[in-house]
Amino acid sequence: MHLTFEPVHFKAQKLKDRPAPHAESGKCMHRGKRIVVTGMGTKNAIGGNVSEFARSLRAGVCGISKIELFDTGEFRTHKGGQVKDFDPRRSIPEEFSLKRMSRADALAMAAALEAVTDAGLYPLPENIKENMGVAIGGGAGGLLEAESFYADLLRKGKGRSKYSRLSSLFCASSADRIASGLELSGPRTTFMTACSAGATALGYARDLILYGHAGMMLAGGVEPMCRLTYAAFNALKSVDEDVCRPFDKSRSGLSLGEASAVLVLEPLESAQNRGAKIYGELMGYGVTCDSFHMTAPDGQASGAARSMRAALADSGLTAEDIDYINAHGTATPINDSTETRAIKEVFGSRAYRIPVSSTKSMHAHTLGASGALEGIVSLLALAKGFVPPTIHWRERDPECDLDYVTEGARRADLRAVLSNSFAFGGNNTTVVFGRYEGQGAVHE
Amino acid sequence: MNKRHDRPDKERVVVTGVGMATPLGTGREEFSRRLFQGESAVDVVQAFDTGGAASHLGAEVRGFEPREWISVKNLRRMDRLSMLTTASARLALSDAGITVKAENRDRVGILFGSAFGATDVTVQFEDALLAQGPGAVNPILVPNTVMNAPAGHASIELGFRGVNVTVTHFAVSAETAVAYAAFEIRRGTADVLLAGGADILSKFYYESLSRFRGLSPDDGGPEGAHPFDVRRNGYVAGEGCGLLCLESLSSARERGAKIYCEITGAGLGSSPAPPTAWPRDSKGFRRTFLRALDQARIEPPGVSAVMAAANGGRVLDAMEADAYEALFASCAGRPWVTSIKGALGESFSGGGIRACALALSVEKGCLPATVGLERPAAPLNFVVGKKVETDLKHTVLSGISFGGTYVCLVFGRCEP
Repeated sequence: MHLTFEPVHFKAQKLKDRPAPHAESGKCMHRGKRIVVTGMGTKNAIGGNVSEFARSLRAGVCGISKIELFDTGEFRTHKGGQVKDFDPRRSIPEEFSLKRMSRADALAMAAALEAVTDAGLYPLPENIKENMGVAIGGGAGGLLEAESFYADLLRKGKGRSKYSRLSSLFCASSADRIASGLELSGPRTTFMTACSAGATALGYARDLILYGHAGMMLAGGVEPMCRLTYAAFNALKSVDEDVCRPFDKSRSGLSLGEASAVLVLEPLESAQNRGAKIYGELMGYGVTCDSFHMTAPDGQASGAARSMRAALADSGLTAEDIDYINAHGTATPINDSTETRAIKEVFGSRAYRIPVSSTKSMHAHTLGASGALEGIVSLLALAKGFVPPTIHWRERDPECDLDYVTEGARRADLRAVLSNSFAFGGNNTTVVFGRYEGQGAVHE
Repeated sequence: MNKRHDRPDKERVVVTGVGMATPLGTGREEFSRRLFQGESAVDVVQAFDTGGAASHLGAEVRGFEPREWISVKNLRRMDRLSMLTTASARLALSDAGITVKAENRDRVGILFGSAFGATDVTVQFEDALLAQGPGAVNPILVPNTVMNAPAGHASIELGFRGVNVTVTHFAVSAETAVAYAAFEIRRGTADVLLAGGADILSKFYYESLSRFRGLSPDDGGPEGAHPFDVRRNGYVAGEGCGLLCLESLSSARERGAKIYCEITGAGLGSSPAPPTAWPRDSKGFRRTFLRALDQARIEPPGVSAVMAAANGGRVLDAMEADAYEALFASCAGRPWVTSIKGALGESFSGGGIRACALALSVEKGCLPATVGLERPAAPLNFVVGKKVETDLKHTVLSGISFGGTYVCLVFGRCEP
């Protein structure tokens, strides 16, 4: 094992007496419906399931270590946040065929099954199957397998290559495998907004329920490690050779990771009727575009700030209501200073009083999955009452002067959490989650 | 009475522009003229050698001159998919009479769908990586390997900074994008949204399609695109981009814009199917179709015409014809059914081009013929031979994908 453990310092934060958002006013009710999260599942570098993930987040575990999925000999860097010892058959029961499943498909399927089981919905009743849909944020899809195929093709020639190995190459395959495997009949969509895809999937999944197109949604994201992605970020020189150090003065790039993360979304009423446990509420989201550069953020931070404001407006909240910001925090020099600037623009002087952390320091940047994975982080923080830390931080950068929770996880009573995901192509998505208090609430 | 008009004008979604770069031409005028004349763009592929495949036909975008639509500065960073998309975006905005300025740029955006993305760039990247190693890859290609590149490039070239989302779901990618864009307009998160999709032909992609045995001829017979025809033996691969310009009825009225049609309903659904196989049972598609009608508050007898998904494939066309026979069995007058994939090929995200074609149809009161259909395999009211002029009050754009995913959109004449 290459996991390193950092000391944990719990620092109790003063509990606020104010109630959870909307506990009284219900001001965010979109069309009379509130959408809550009742199940979660994940595979990532620091958790083989949600409870292990929660423990690792609290303990500040680092999952960034030497890549074993492929040879990194020729690359400039050799580390990443890999899902270790993943055996699909151990996570996916016999009744689901693994034939032609890519690593991405299997990771996504495993997370979906965990989420559905966690929601108390497995095996799924017929009436729920009929109206349940799947929204997945995609990334490299089946590229890891396609690369082996393509390498064979270059070596052996076309006649001898089995093109059926490409059948799970494209990202929509994961949602198809989940939906067909669970015999669902609701909408299926795969979101491709690069590093914000998982967050975008959560937002649109909520809308599908609000607008009556689905009764419940499995929403999340999946990103497998593959050579193309690894080579791409290396070519852009945006990878740290060691471990990523979000918001640190000498930060020099991100750490690439892989993960799957799936959440069960349903109307509050449905969750209460079936006596489900409720992690929290998906209150709102915002999607904007930099329209500036394909790989660099707008230095003015306009897109990021507009995305946070749009999410707050959609949630019916103000900057005053947010108690923790789960930052995009990739640890590239430009992202972290730009994001800090955007947070200050949106939150004003309150920015200095809100804890901001990048859990990418632990599970690495899981690209297409990250928005959904960090959605799980946000909901765990709300439900379990803690702020996860930014690990690997060493020295203060004058441009990054917020409270980045660098001393370890903190106990905290949170009312609402804002989670940022910014992407290549200038695609920004922010999701806001709220604490739920009432029947079924998960609180520790 | 039609209750959809209970919706306030700002929640009614209308099409005020169309933009496209297709095998039947770039821009509304050329596309519309050639489409309604019943021209076919299916021809032997010229862009690359098809020697490695069992098929040789395709519907290619030819004579497309990116410099006419895109600044040289931005063009250098674009791949072909992004060029077709950016040109179509410019055309759609200009058709709608919208100029992106500092005052409105945060309220203008795009919902883009692509089934396979820039397969040419991915292959180019992998060629360098696998044959020569990581040092040989070109960083400028990196963003273009991600599917959101076309929407990103279009936003940079045209300056819009609002909602910007890329979706993919195989053959319903573009229909999905249009459905979500309509939600966004209704929700008020954007004033103007471009919506549709694009895919391109490339050598490796074409050869892969050929190996999956979907392309005509799947039986060694004559090659061709014949939707709904007894002679059909697979589809012909196509490419291109089609984008609608959507806004609310109140915004269109305020600007005094020309309105092609109103999007009155959307249905999204699926049914379990083996990966990459077309669904055989029509139940899931019928349910989705009815969901869309329900949202538009109409019943099957109210449907004037269907822009079908049929591409000449054996399973897809039979399933879809089956569905319409069942859906319209009790209707006195059967709706017109047409598919333009006989003329334009199957480009998977062709739902964008088909949405443009349907918007033009509703506006003109005229349906294009199903090119390649001579001997119908089902007793439906197909548009055969030449276009028909007819009143189009409620029409449906059917999207069906392999894997069992469906999206149906209802386009209606916009009435006050």
